[in-house]
Amino acid sequence: MFDLVAQSILSGIGVGAIYGLIGIGFCVIYNASGIVNFAQGAFVMLGGMLTHAGMTKLGLPLPLAAIGAIAIVALSGVALERIVVRPLWNRGSTMFVMILATLAAQIVVERLTLIAAGDQPRTLPVFTDLPPLRVFGFAINFQFLWIVGCSAIVIAGLALFFSSTKTGKAMRACSINRDAAALQGIPVSRMLALAFALSAGLGAVAGILITPTQYTAFNVGVPFAISGFIAAIVGGFGRPLGAFMGGILLGVAQALAIVFLGAAFKNVAALSILLLFLFVRPTGLLGSAK
Amino acid sequence: MSASSTHSRILEVEGLSASYGHVEALRPVNLHVEEGELIAVLGPNGAGKSTLMNAIMGLVPTQGRVTFRGRDVPRRAPAAAAALGIVLVPEGRGIFAPMTVAENLELGAYLLSDKREYARRYERVLSLFPRLKERLTQTAGSLSGGEQQMLAVGRALMSEPKILLLDEPSLGLAPRVIEEILQKLGELNRQGLSIILVEQKAPLVLKLARRAYLLSVGSIAAEIDPRTIKSHDELAHYYLG
Repeated sequence: MFDLVAQSILSGIGVGAIYGLIGIGFCVIYNASGIVNFAQGAFVMLGGMLTHAGMTKLGLPLPLAAIGAIAIVALSGVALERIVVRPLWNRGSTMFVMILATLAAQIVVERLTLIAAGDQPRTLPVFTDLPPLRVFGFAINFQFLWIVGCSAIVIAGLALFFSSTKTGKAMRACSINRDAAALQGIPVSRMLALAFALSAGLGAVAGILITPTQYTAFNVGVPFAISGFIAAIVGGFGRPLGAFMGGILLGVAQALAIVFLGAAFKNVAALSILLLFLFVRPTGLLGSAK
Repeated sequence: MSASSTHSRILEVEGLSASYGHVEALRPVNLHVEEGELIAVLGPNGAGKSTLMNAIMGLVPTQGRVTFRGRDVPRRAPAAAAALGIVLVPEGRGIFAPMTVAENLELGAYLLSDKREYARRYERVLSLFPRLKERLTQTAGSLSGGEQQMLAVGRALMSEPKILLLDEPSLGLAPRVIEEILQKLGELNRQGLSIILVEQKAPLVLKLARRAYLLSVGSIAAEIDPRTIKSHDELAHYYLG
């Protein structure tokens, strides 16, 4: 029993790291603009689908296909900002309208993918095709190591970007006080586009990392986005590190719920955690950013 | 005569008006600043002083024209106005509170990429406000009000502005601190920096300013020569009409 619990906690951490990455994507855009981007799931789905397409249609090796997919998805993030968000922003639309527009964009991308690629689920090969490592009797598969390792690198890279580069600091300045940032000559709208690119790229990375352990299809985006959204709320909305911690918490809770209560309770666990936090600690683990 | 006088104008505001939604906050305003001049914009609370500053920067939707050394200042593009060398220290200072003092100063020089020039400006600002030097690694939000105002001015100076706009720098500060800051502004002006100083408390700035505009309910009520103002009563006359 203990083994089973420990094993499922491990796999929960893996899935949780993915939720965390998606949650960070929510935070990056929210901090830059105050918008909750419900098209976040589309980026996750496109990451997996485009990598699959790159490998099967173009015959690219996995790393190239993955990098290409991340780049395309990041650009599609910019396109989302330019085509959907910016016109509303310039017109002085309310936050609610812009958030709804991102949800509409999510549906459009999902349906276009259905038309272009069909409804068949696809998967990616595991990145390292070796039998699981045995550590203290636990099986640790390599995809878990890839997920945790890549997440750690991405988060460290993001932290470095926001703390040490001029562009990163300028993005933080925009999230603190947009007008004051513009008065310093910071191109606020370009920073917003960059936030969408970063966030989309993060979603794509998450989608690519998780696909080998599950599958991807046109409709996987929304469930992932919901989990990432919950992770961001649990962590304290707008707090990237909090979102990652929230993601891990969520992943582990789901894994334990599956072991003890059955697979049907996976979503019950996720929503219970969300409700628990909304009731007891609505500002999340680290306190919300705004 | 008029050709040479427009030539020495660093900033010219013609028929500039602004509205928030359907509410007209600023009726068409004309004003100008000569090169190297320090002018004051005075007026009671709610007269539209901040709106005028935001309108010059293009932070709010405006009608009318703002020219900088004869070139049009783009509207609704504050970053572009800043790039021209027009820098506003906004009302409430607009410092980035969660960031460090050093980061705030760094962002003031966002448009500069030359490292040596950056070091020169950094030294200059820190020697003008030595108190900031002791606080470089503190978050800006942890500074006292006076230090925050110094940081806001210092951050603006990091961009080496051609004209500096200050919106009520005295707000919420102790008289001694106000005096210190105004003295620094006078020093900067003597070094050649053109300045627009917005103030509610007129006596503070009339000593510094060459000219003063009086703003009342969203439009310019008078242009006055501070040297001719002899008493508070006379000023009150301008305020109250």
